[in-house]
Amino acid sequence: MTRVIEVPTHLDDHSFDQFAAGFDAWPPEEKLLVDARGAQWASPYGLIGMLTAGQAVAEARRERPLLTVPTSDEVKRYWARVGFFRHAAELFELHGRVPKASATGPSDVLLDVTPIRAMDDVHQVVEKVNEAALRILHGELGLERNATMRFSMALSEACQNIVEHAGTSGWVGVQVYSFRRRLGRRVAVIAVSDAGVGFRRSLESTHAKRFGDRWGDGAALEAALIQGVSRFRDPSRGQGFAGIKGFLDRWKGKISIRSGTARLSIVPAWDDDVPLADHLAFFPGAQVQITIPAHEESR
Amino acid sequence: MIETIRIGHLLRETTASPYRNLVTRPTGAAVRNRIEETLSRSDCPTALLDFSGIEVLDFSCAEEIVAKLLLGQVSGRSRFVVLRGLRDDQREAIEQVLTHHRLAIVAIVHGGEPLLLGWVSADARQAFACVCRTGPAGAGDLARALGWPEPRMREALDALALHLLVRSEGDCYHASLVA
Repeated sequence: MTRVIEVPTHLDDHSFDQFAAGFDAWPPEEKLLVDARGAQWASPYGLIGMLTAGQAVAEARRERPLLTVPTSDEVKRYWARVGFFRHAAELFELHGRVPKASATGPSDVLLDVTPIRAMDDVHQVVEKVNEAALRILHGELGLERNATMRFSMALSEACQNIVEHAGTSGWVGVQVYSFRRRLGRRVAVIAVSDAGVGFRRSLESTHAKRFGDRWGDGAALEAALIQGVSRFRDPSRGQGFAGIKGFLDRWKGKISIRSGTARLSIVPAWDDDVPLADHLAFFPGAQVQITIPAHEESR
Repeated sequence: MIETIRIGHLLRETTASPYRNLVTRPTGAAVRNRIEETLSRSDCPTALLDFSGIEVLDFSCAEEIVAKLLLGQVSGRSRFVVLRGLRDDQREAIEQVLTHHRLAIVAIVHGGEPLLLGWVSADARQAFACVCRTGPAGAGDLARALGWPEPRMREALDALALHLLVRSEGDCYHASLVA
């Protein structure tokens, strides 16, 4: 039997729950077919989420899943251009014609879909993003010049979490796009995802007792994001998220972390997301999205 | 005598790459080790860590380089450590990690003005600003400048001197590098 998992037409951090629900159980017992034929758009979060699914299946030593590529030429070209198919080909059996990736001048992609396997990858990512960040964040989104550096700090901390806590590798993508429906402005988005142990398992041995019956994916996210705890007993740990929160507070940004069956967000006034979404469909590892809106005068 | 350590040079030597961004905990720890090696060979009473040319300084590196350097010197520390060449975002990262540990350091900003980064009591912060403003002075003169009783000023200055944020010579206190 093959289980078909339909990729939502617009795959982002919200519709990702629908995508995750398609898997039923982890690790999946059946062969999987990820059907992206109807996809019209995918955020970096959506793209690296699909790769994470493929990675988790591979790491569980299950049968290589199939992925049917989008029908839309424009969507296919974009997914090729950000490097999605290059990585997907290692994790999925691709069905459908995949165009060659080609750069076509300045783009809103600050960072292609990039694997994070070691600390040196974090260095490479920050070096790469810094060059384009000033042009896009300051020049196009109207953020102050030094916001570029804070953006890169947030990116660095989010990527380091994969190497330090996930127990496996992960993915990052950074892009600017229009957020008209929810905000009416453009946003810069950092998306980071891994197929690792997730926040609950990472923190369980050091923090579960304190939470008692409340312990679960939601409580683990709360401990990490709100209370700044870490699995390390070193008191200096856990400051990365504190720093990111300070940056987001200043720029009216949003951070959302999904792990296991829960998603915890620090929700700015422009968004109507719930702070904690619990009892979601399970998905392996952790998925982080950091959203920085354009300055109000730079719509 | 001042031992000036250019962090950008250390970063490039440590990573053997032309990086200008101080990111990741292992990189921070490696740079701190190089700073400690340099200081162990130096007799200078003041170390000046120059961050000029560094672009991103993330929280992990701020922690590994600055906070852990100070924590490592808590017992028996006798050297003033001063920072220079920091941008606002880098100052904020250092401020956050030092506050977390209730530590403080002096940074030279805006062409020579000393600034306290991290955690000190409100009295100590005011006393530090007063020493910087008036120049080397005794506790009595500084207390009068702020309209404080002398014991209050002495307590604040002693706390600053204990953490090597001001230098005391006899009855006179002065900002560590500005003297």
